Amino acid sequence: MFHNFGKLRKLSLVFCIMTAVILSACSNKETSGNADNAKKDGVTTLTFWHENTGVGEEAINDVVDAFNKKHKDIRVKAVYTAANESQNEKLLAAVAGGNPPDISWFDRFKIGSWASEGSLTDLTKYADRDGVTKDNYYPFAWDEATYKDKLYGIPVDTDARLLFYNKDAFKDAGLDPENPPKTISELEKAAEKLTIKDGNRFKRIGFIPWYNQGWLYSWGWGFGGDFYNKDKNIVTLNDPKIVESLKWIADYAKKYNVEDITGFTDSKGSGEMDPFITGQLAMHIGGNWSISGYLKYKPDLNYGVTPIPTPTGTDFTSWSGGMAVVVPKGAKHPDEAWEFVKFFGSEEGQELYNGKYKTLSVIDSVNEKLGYKKDPLFSQFINILPESHNRPVIPEGELLWNELSNAVDNAIHGNGKPGDLLKAANDKVNKSLK
Amino acid sequence: MKALEKLNLKQQQVLIVKSKKSNINSGATGWLFASPWIIGLVLFYLLPLVVSIYYSFTSYSILRPGEFIGLQNYKELLVDPLFLKSIYNTVYFAVFYVPLSIICGVALAMMLNMKIKGMTIYRTIFFLPTLVPHVAIAVLWMWLLNPGFGLVNGFLDMIGIKGPAWLGSETWSKPSLIFMSLWGIGQSVVIYLAGLGDISSEYYEAAEVDGANWFQKTFHITLPLLTPVIFFNLVMGIIGAFQQFTLPYTLTQGQGKPANSLTFYVMYLYDNGFKYFRMGYASAMAWVLFVVIMVLTLLIFWSSKRWVHYQGK
Repeated sequence: MFHNFGKLRKLSLVFCIMTAVILSACSNKETSGNADNAKKDGVTTLTFWHENTGVGEEAINDVVDAFNKKHKDIRVKAVYTAANESQNEKLLAAVAGGNPPDISWFDRFKIGSWASEGSLTDLTKYADRDGVTKDNYYPFAWDEATYKDKLYGIPVDTDARLLFYNKDAFKDAGLDPENPPKTISELEKAAEKLTIKDGNRFKRIGFIPWYNQGWLYSWGWGFGGDFYNKDKNIVTLNDPKIVESLKWIADYAKKYNVEDITGFTDSKGSGEMDPFITGQLAMHIGGNWSISGYLKYKPDLNYGVTPIPTPTGTDFTSWSGGMAVVVPKGAKHPDEAWEFVKFFGSEEGQELYNGKYKTLSVIDSVNEKLGYKKDPLFSQFINILPESHNRPVIPEGELLWNELSNAVDNAIHGNGKPGDLLKAANDKVNKSLK
Repeated sequence: MKALEKLNLKQQQVLIVKSKKSNINSGATGWLFASPWIIGLVLFYLLPLVVSIYYSFTSYSILRPGEFIGLQNYKELLVDPLFLKSIYNTVYFAVFYVPLSIICGVALAMMLNMKIKGMTIYRTIFFLPTLVPHVAIAVLWMWLLNPGFGLVNGFLDMIGIKGPAWLGSETWSKPSLIFMSLWGIGQSVVIYLAGLGDISSEYYEAAEVDGANWFQKTFHITLPLLTPVIFFNLVMGIIGAFQQFTLPYTLTQGQGKPANSLTFYVMYLYDNGFKYFRMGYASAMAWVLFVVIMVLTLLIFWSSKRWVHYQGK
């Protein structure tokens, strides 16, 4: 019996090797394909992961095609990978496994955390060489792609938050539709006049501060606060102005009864049943991307946009995010990848992408060229962009976001005082930052 | 039994004869055939499991190996308010959900065990919800529990009760979730049904002769003899309840709203691991959970001697 063991061992060895070969063959096929065969006949093939679908994907393909036409020796292949702003495990696994795509679509919000983990290629020297500087872009967009004075991505689109208000509702409530609220107290008065409550149900609600894009970022900066001290590298969530803004939100929740409002927001429809379209919600903080939805579902919706009210009625501001294109760490062809990244961020690439997708460009002159400055709605967004903020570029951006969101949620439900909640959130984030 | 043993012996003899003939060691062949699964288990379960113990003592972030920091992750857990809140939420869920699922499951199984026409149809109806994916259940119940025009509140309105905001209310969000989870107990009902079918009818016949009523038969025959199955479902139920993730995560888009009342243990673990890049911390959380579940399971096993009755013993 035993003399067969040798044979069997060999057999199992062969089996194991075969399994290994098959496994590795599979994994090679599935990876980004930047293995050695990427360079063929002097043409470097680059893989570009993105998450856009529909018109967004077409817009990306337009940029890719234009780039490929221009470059004989580089071919970019755009690959859709299912991901969204909160989930990007695929890229995470690819980078951790040392086999990332050459270029990736990337939420600028996460550049801080990924760069601090050493997972993005530093593009500073390329940008210096080719004269790509901050001057070309809106300051916030460039800042959000920069971590510790090093550039890790090129911004490609952006957004902004403003107050949307329904002009018909304003007329109905006896308010001047051409004179929307500018100060917080005007906003409160308008909201009160616009609200029609029947028992614990709202037939129409004037305004909900935390609804849609009413994040604490939208209010904290508006009240004059600041979330981050760059010199000390600490977050400053218990800035008195931010506490003041959260107090205002909490008082608002108390006045209108947060459970009743939650009943309203939980029942809200989407698409053509969106409460702003149906007139059940008279004002809200929204982003420029909402416009296309309103145009699609109710083209004759009579509404306007105006900067988010501030306590003084001056110094209006907003905050902006957006996407960037990055070169993940470990990508095999960073030089060629940079050429594409640069092209996407150039005026030509910007015009192609943002023109097709109807998003805001990070370059002012492109927005002008695309006619946004003449559009009564879009121009308001473009006008606020030079004053817009970006969220702090720190390793703990995601934690900060969740902590702020929790603080607001707890404050409106009356679980703790705004000051204490923000202090606790502040301590937690700063502890992680150390 | 003896016949079976004889048969086994015969088979073994045949095998031995065969193996002698073809000169193949049956043990090694078995390992060889099982190797894809063994390799898979070792590589993708056992290895990560063991490695995660090490990682729980480091600041591993997936993207970077991190440093060895000793017990710091565990110490930090003890003072993390959201961690404690997530434990509270999870225990709350387990304490209500597990007993309720057993009571409802057994009651349903007993009803579905009656001998009436069309029983297979009823059984199918109660099993169907378990075939619905969790994400779909979440969306479906979001509509049913919609405070404005959901069916549940509409029904309550009809009988003159003003329904709460359910998933939007801090007090009602967890009960809503328990309610939703109970909807999918079909799986355990099937197991209870098998257990009921296993109870020998002799006991009932004897009880009938003695003049026992339904109540006595249920509590002195059915339930005691169903305890092995209840025992199994209790252990599985507790493990499942402590690992609650998909439903609340989908319901709240990972936010655990309102006011963190739906932030469950594994949700917070996931956020730490994949969103905050604190895989070391998340590994520590996973091990705490593992130990808790292990201890609870051991406790149940230890106590089972007192309340689990096996037939024929």
